[in-house]
Formats: sequence, structure tokens, C-alpha cells
Amino acid sequence: MSSDPHTLAGAYAMYAVEDADERRAFEEHLSRCPECEEEARGLRETAARLGVAVAQEPPPGLRDRVMAEIGLVRQLPPILDPASAPGRRAAARRAWWPRAATGLAAACLAVAVGLGVVAVRANDALQQERLGGQRIAAVLAAPDAKTVTRTAGQGAKGTLVVSRSQGQVVFFSSGLAALPESRTYQLWRIGPGGAVPDRLTRPDTEGRTPPVVIGELGDATKIGVTVEPAGGSRQPSAPPLMVVPLPSA
Amino acid sequence: MRPRRALPLDGGRHDRPGLEELLRQVARGDRAAFEQVYDMVAAAVYGVALRVLRDPAQAEEIAQEVLIEVWRGAARFEASRGSGMSWVMTIAHHRAVDRVRSAQASIDREDRVARLEARRPYDDVAESVETTLEQERLRRCLNGLTELQRESVTYAYYGGYTYREVAELLKVPLATVKTRMRDGLIRMRDCLGVER
Repeated sequence: MSSDPHTLAGAYAMYAVEDADERRAFEEHLSRCPECEEEARGLRETAARLGVAVAQEPPPGLRDRVMAEIGLVRQLPPILDPASAPGRRAAARRAWWPRAATGLAAACLAVAVGLGVVAVRANDALQQERLGGQRIAAVLAAPDAKTVTRTAGQGAKGTLVVSRSQGQVVFFSSGLAALPESRTYQLWRIGPGGAVPDRLTRPDTEGRTPPVVIGELGDATKIGVTVEPAGGSRQPSAPPLMVVPLPSA
Repeated sequence: MRPRRALPLDGGRHDRPGLEELLRQVARGDRAAFEQVYDMVAAAVYGVALRVLRDPAQAEEIAQEVLIEVWRGAARFEASRGSGMSWVMTIAHHRAVDRVRSAQASIDREDRVARLEARRPYDDVAESVETTLEQERLRRCLNGLTELQRESVTYAYYGGYTYREVAELLKVPLATVKTRMRDGLIRMRDCLGVER
């Protein structure tokens, strides 16, 4: 760590400061020093030019894939932050991390980020998984995220995290019994019209299922979990072993 | 030879509408605006990912991720904080560098230094056969730096190395590397005529 954080401006603009504390100290320095903020901004623009100068025609399939994929990705709302000058970014961070849910969200985020990392190692097959990871992180970190937890027999616990701003629901659970290869847990969106099949999920060795994003909710009022043959079913083959209600508006 | 692409080097100010305005439209879910954004930024995004990762398959994967992120996070772009291009390129560069760092975390230090020494990001720029105007300008500006400034800047930006790693590689004190990164980048800023 340097006595004069300002010398970090170049390294910071080129993402060459890996120590998070050092980065934070520099950002705090910027928030107190308008000229430094100005310099940092010019250096960020300069770094971007270094990147633009090595532009290369991307592979031809990329455009179509990106265009197809954005249809599946919900956009983030803007950060509504009334404060405007110094410390603005810290305020934005606080708004972004709901205080009450921080512990839970952070724990889940770690899982979601873990998912992301796993997916990064593989490629196309896990593309959706990684996108899911990003969406999960967005839901869990949303300022308006609400959680509902229900327990079922023998310590099984299911949790829904709902964010209206993200328009999405994430489910994860713990305490689920291990299943043979021939069976799977399946989620259902349950409403007046019956049960609509949703994701299949399997617990890890500690009985936890990773967070998954639930599909279009429609008129669903709760999420149920059943045990089904591997590959899943179109109709639940038994009453749900766990039901978690969606919080009402 | 491919004609020089009209890259929006100044955030597309000569085109109408500019990248910043398009990003505002994208933030409202406008897919047609996003297609225009794609055409403005995709080559730069893919290029920087390729330069940092040196692997077309991974670069393409990162580029796809970054472009989706541009769609997803367009509402978070604040024109008051910088150009649209620098917002996009910051996302792209960070993602590419994160990927390199996570891949290298498993390689032991000696190996890494050996690999590092084998990588000459600046030479690649200099030797590139097909040069755009922007590349020529970049090369000219890089040539205006001292050797230590140039190495510090190119290893950090194109190599994805932290300033500590660059210090280790160039065998110079940390404070020197930090200073060279800053004054080198300032000189690049003035040479490239970056608007502030």
C-alpha cells in the first residue's frame, strides 16, 4: 500500500490493482478529490482507446447468438440514487445491497458466483447455466428482494427469493435427501390451473440444491417440489413434499 | 485488404444517433437500438478479449457475455461519467482479465513468469499486418513512451497483469511501476487526444 494513493491512477484505470482494499482506498480518495476523479476518467477513456485500437472482426455467428440471447435476458432497472456528488458510488452500493437481506443474499450470491465459475470452465453446454448465475445474482441482490421459507419434514427447507424489479423468482433448498440416479427433484409452478413443470434439481452432498431461476410465473401462487423419475415428468406423480407460497403483491 | 472500419472512436459523435443515445434507447428495451450498438462495439469488444485471452474460442465466449451484459445493464450507463465506448470497453476488459486471472491462479509462479516473458503484447501491435488508422496512431503514441512506460502499460492492459506482477517481471520496485503506469497512460492520453 502506498502513502500516496494517487499514484495508483494508471494501474487502476488498467484494472491492474487486484487487492480489493487497495482499490477501495483509491476509490475513496477519488471521491474526496475532484481533480483526481477527473484524471481517473481521462485515463479510463485512454485505456478504452487501447482496447478499441485492437478491434477485430468477430466471428460471424456471434451477432445472431447475441440477438437471440437478449430475448431471454431481463434488463436491469437503473440505480435510483438521489445523492449526486462525492460518496455517490458508495451510496449506490448501499442501495444495491439491501441491508436486512445482506447475509442471506451474500451466502446465496457465493453459490451463484460459484455456479458462474463452474460454467466458465466449460463452454456452450453451460452457457445457459452461467446466464442463470447472473440472473440469480441480480435477483438475490435486488433492493426489493423478499424471501419466503417453508420447512417440510425431516429438516428440509425451501426458500424463494422474489424481486419485483427483476421480475424473477429464485428457488433453493436445503436438507433434501439424496436420490438414486434414476430419480430427480422437480419444481412445479402451482396455480388455480394446476401444476406447470419447472426445473429439475439435485441436492449436493450436503443436501442443498443450488439457486435456480423459476420460469414465467403466470397465475402461479406457489412453488412445489416433488420426486420424479430422472428426466422429469409432465404431471406431478405424487403430492409435493414441499410447497412454498409466492409472496402476494 | 479490408476497408477500415468506421469505429466510433469518440463515442460515435459523428454518427446519428451516438452510442450514448443508443444506450439510453437500449435501456428502454429497444432491440433495434441494440443492433446498432452491437455494430458499433462488437469488433472492439471481441478484439480486446482476443488480445488479452489469445484464444479465439474464449474471446468469443467473453465477447458474447459482454454484449449481453451491455443489453442487460444499459440502464446503469451514466453518460455523465464517461463515454459509452469506455463503459463498454471497461466491462469487456475487466471480463477478459478476470478470465485470464482465474485461469492463471492455478499455474505456479515460476511458470507464470516464464509465460509472461513469452508474451509480448506490444510486439503484436507493432507486427500486426493489417493496420487501421487507430492502430497506427496507437503504435506511434506507444513509441513516444519510454521503454519502461510502454512495457508497464502494455503488460497491464493487454497482458492482464497486475502492477505487482509487472514489477516482478520487469524487476523494478512497485512504486516505480505504479508511477510509470500513470505517467505512461497520461502521455498516451495526450498523444491520442482523448477528450476529457
